[in-house]
Amino acid sequence: MSTSTRPTTRPRRIDDALSQLVESLLPEIPLSALPQDHDFSDDDLALAAAEEHRHHAQLERAWRTLEAHPSSGADPTSPAGRRGSSAGEDINHAPDLIKRKLRRENASPEKIVRFSNLYTRLLTQPVLSQKWGILYLLYKLSETDEEQQPVERSRSPLMDEGNLQNMLGRGAGRPRRGAVVESEDDEGPAVSSSASQPPRVSRESRAQRPSSLHRDWEESTERASASRASHYETGDERDGMASPTETPASHARSTESVENGLLRDLPFNLQGLSSTNLQFQSTSVLKLPSNLPAPIVSLLNALAEPCLLYKELAGFVESAEGGLVNQSLRAAVANELRSYLGLVATLEAEIRQALAAIGNASTMQGVRKGGVTLKRCMVWTRDATMALRLMSLIVEEARDKKGGQLISLIHGFSSSHGDPFVCAFAEKLLAHVTRPFYDMLRLWIYDGELSDPYKEFFVAESDLRTTADPRRTATSVWEDKYKLDDDMVPSIITQDFAKKVFLIGKSLNFIRYGCGDSGWVEAYSKEASKELRYGDTATLETSIDEAYKTTMARLIHLMDDKFKLFDHLRALKKYLLLGQGDFIALLMESLASNLDRPANSQYRHTLTAQLEHAIRASNAQYDSPDVLRRLDARMLELSHGEIGWDCFTLEYKIDAPVDVVITPWGSTQYLKVFNFLWRVKRVEFALNSTWRRCMTGARGVLGSVDDKVGPDWKRARCVIAEMIHFVCQLQYYILFEVIESSWDQLQAEVSKPGCTLDDLIEAHTKYLNSITHKGLLGSATASRYGVSTSASAKQPEESFLSQLHHILKIMLSYKDAVDGLYSFSVAEFTRRQELSAKIETRTAQGRWGVTDRDMLPRRANSRGGASMASTPDIRPASAGPDGIDTPFSLSAQDLAADDNMLASLRVRLRDLSADFKSRLTTLLSDLSYQPDVDMRFLAVVMNFNDVYKPRRRAKPTSGARDRDRERERAKRKAAASAAAANAGTGSGTESSREMRRERSAGAGPEPGNGNGAAT
Amino acid sequence: MAPQLDPVDKRQAAREVIDILQEISDLLNTNLDRTELSLCVSLIENGVNPDALATVIKDLRKEAVNSKRVSNAPPATTE
Repeated sequence: MSTSTRPTTRPRRIDDALSQLVESLLPEIPLSALPQDHDFSDDDLALAAAEEHRHHAQLERAWRTLEAHPSSGADPTSPAGRRGSSAGEDINHAPDLIKRKLRRENASPEKIVRFSNLYTRLLTQPVLSQKWGILYLLYKLSETDEEQQPVERSRSPLMDEGNLQNMLGRGAGRPRRGAVVESEDDEGPAVSSSASQPPRVSRESRAQRPSSLHRDWEESTERASASRASHYETGDERDGMASPTETPASHARSTESVENGLLRDLPFNLQGLSSTNLQFQSTSVLKLPSNLPAPIVSLLNALAEPCLLYKELAGFVESAEGGLVNQSLRAAVANELRSYLGLVATLEAEIRQALAAIGNASTMQGVRKGGVTLKRCMVWTRDATMALRLMSLIVEEARDKKGGQLISLIHGFSSSHGDPFVCAFAEKLLAHVTRPFYDMLRLWIYDGELSDPYKEFFVAESDLRTTADPRRTATSVWEDKYKLDDDMVPSIITQDFAKKVFLIGKSLNFIRYGCGDSGWVEAYSKEASKELRYGDTATLETSIDEAYKTTMARLIHLMDDKFKLFDHLRALKKYLLLGQGDFIALLMESLASNLDRPANSQYRHTLTAQLEHAIRASNAQYDSPDVLRRLDARMLELSHGEIGWDCFTLEYKIDAPVDVVITPWGSTQYLKVFNFLWRVKRVEFALNSTWRRCMTGARGVLGSVDDKVGPDWKRARCVIAEMIHFVCQLQYYILFEVIESSWDQLQAEVSKPGCTLDDLIEAHTKYLNSITHKGLLGSATASRYGVSTSASAKQPEESFLSQLHHILKIMLSYKDAVDGLYSFSVAEFTRRQELSAKIETRTAQGRWGVTDRDMLPRRANSRGGASMASTPDIRPASAGPDGIDTPFSLSAQDLAADDNMLASLRVRLRDLSADFKSRLTTLLSDLSYQPDVDMRFLAVVMNFNDVYKPRRRAKPTSGARDRDRERERAKRKAAASAAAANAGTGSGTESSREMRRERSAGAGPEPGNGNGAAT
Repeated sequence: MAPQLDPVDKRQAAREVIDILQEISDLLNTNLDRTELSLCVSLIENGVNPDALATVIKDLRKEAVNSKRVSNAPPATTE
């Protein structure tokens, strides 16, 4: 501005104002000031003339100064020369300078506050356009007189704009010490644009250096070899120094020149280059000349530190290995080093200027005037040294760290170090160093992509495909693709936060690859993506929270809408957990006859056909075809001599994205539950059909043989009723108390707002676990209630599942036995029918209805019953109608076999019912000691009227053995009582046996029952 | 600048500015009186380099001191 608008001719207004100013500033020339020897008569005239003269002279001089200034850029020492180009910066600079000055001169802040008020008021005034100029003028005028000699103005290079801001990175609040304080007075605008100049100077000087450097170097090597070489490590051997051998007085001059030489070389040393006097032996050793006085040596020791540190850091910056965060650290360090070099360059300019001044006046005074001494240099480099030291410390510690750990390290400095300087510096470094980290973070939370070539992010692609957890045997995109590496989470974000971030990226990735919805992800990232940087934690947090919410909502939405997760869950509950009653009943009915056959005669097509039939005929037909398509019937692999019932299973196929929630483990759990329920259902079905037959038979067939097997039937009906009660209660419990309540919980969990996929998986796992556990299927150790049940799990008792299996097996064989009894009853009935028919025909023929021969078999029976019992019903077909006499002997045998069979049937029925009762009692007593309320409830429901007497557990350790023994005892007792009852009924049958004379020729419908009972 | 201000307002504003500057000047011990200050302001507003102006003022002051010294010393001998 001043340079551009400066008029070539002196504008009038300026001239006027200036002349007035000169007038007002110059005092009146007193009379006495006039040269006395002249002795003018007219004093006034003389005065006026003198004043006029002086006024003109001063005005002229002022003009010269004014005109010289704007164009005086050539003179580097002139403060005004530097500022012509950088006036813009000064607008804020002048008030800053004033503030600093006020702070320096006044202990209390009161004046600063006042100034600030005035300044703000001034800013609001529209009149002035050059406010900074005025302020700067005032500032200048307020200076004390001491720096009126320009040579002595020693400005601190530290105060150079770039260096001050960059190198130190601290506020103006840091107190200055010692020599720097006074030298600070004319820092500021005068040096504000010096950044471009000192380097040029240093280049020049470097160009002229080599020749002299070489010469000096040769001299010094001679000297060095002659004298004892002393090495100084930085910071370590501070106390080692060459003892001054000469007296200070005689040494003063040489010290002077030595110091000058050292000063001249100092900028090079500070850049890590060897010089005449100071040579780098290696990267960490700087050799000092040995013949220096102690004060200089100690100064050099202090100055050697930045030299060595710089050399080391420069080496670090040059190196190329390491990850992205390492590289950015390197860049940040390089940046700092650059500002350090700027400082060195300014320093060099100062030194050169000072040395030139010494050249003029080569006296002690010269050094004083030059104002640059080793001591001063040391003070100037002090803060830079601290910065270098800190950087070297960070670099040292960062060597074997990477990524998040490195960030944590630097963050540790910035957050927990006591020194505000260190904090501020680390904070500044952090802003640079975290840049790649935030880039990765952004890519991760907005795109779901992991771009981490050096494995520095806290999310890592997990490569180990074989997980130890058996529940997740299959590879799951959701669980196994990425993992959170806790070590790499930098301390700038919390663990909680890291988890969130991890989840966001994982979800996005999953949406993109698992759900095939990359379009949404791209749109989302385009719309939501924003720059993340270190510092504004609040913004970061909100943006991450937002991303979290959006992503989770989208994922759940996809799961629900596109992949019908909840429909699948419902279908699983309906079909695999027998929720759809009509379908299951129909399926069972249509499959019953099929499944009675051995497993290896089951064919898939018949099964699927029956399944299809069941679906079509039940309400299941209204379900969506997508769900029904997945339903499949098949046989389990484990088919060794079992019948179809044992290995039939329904299956519900789950495919890609949904299997994240319904894991393969979950599917097996479903199958397990289904198999159990299917078995219970089958037993119920069998018992029911038996019951139906009993009931219908009781009105016809069974009623007529009531005299013989009536009590047996009564007993059998009781036991069957008991069993049906048991099965019904069990089913009710599992279906309603367990599955429905767990389902309810699942629904509640899932419909919670802000539910994530992880929550969903968790809820589903919990659901399955509670079903398997409460549904008496879980082995106690594997269940999630493991802690509470571990006491009972330790005991060698059977799991509920095997107990139930036993009970169900007993029920089935009881059912078989009852069927045997039924067929026996039917056989008995037909025999009686035949007998009465025969009697009728004989009577019609005019013979006796009952002959002696009919009574014979009893004797025959008593003779050889045992041997004949083994062949009970081999009846030659030819023995029917032709021979009337022969059948009697045969039927006698049969009759004996029948009796035998009945007895064995009775024994069997009794045994089974006793076994059933004892096992049930055991089960109930086990149940009533469960920690789970629902399971105790089952025990209560089954034993609501205290029919069973569950034993109290005496001691947990011996309980099982006791129970075994007791069970044995109970069995024996039951058997004994059954035998007694049998004997009683046996005598009953003995008496009624008179009634039976014949045996029907019709084939008995029961092929191997009697046989089985006998053995 | 606000060109639409009428002269009265302008003068008023100028006075206010000078008041403020005067206060700052006192704060900084510049030893400028009000006239000098307004002169300086007008100079700077007309594009004079403040640095140069400062040098000029300092020079003038030095000169004044010198002349005073010159004028003070002889009276001791004359009286």
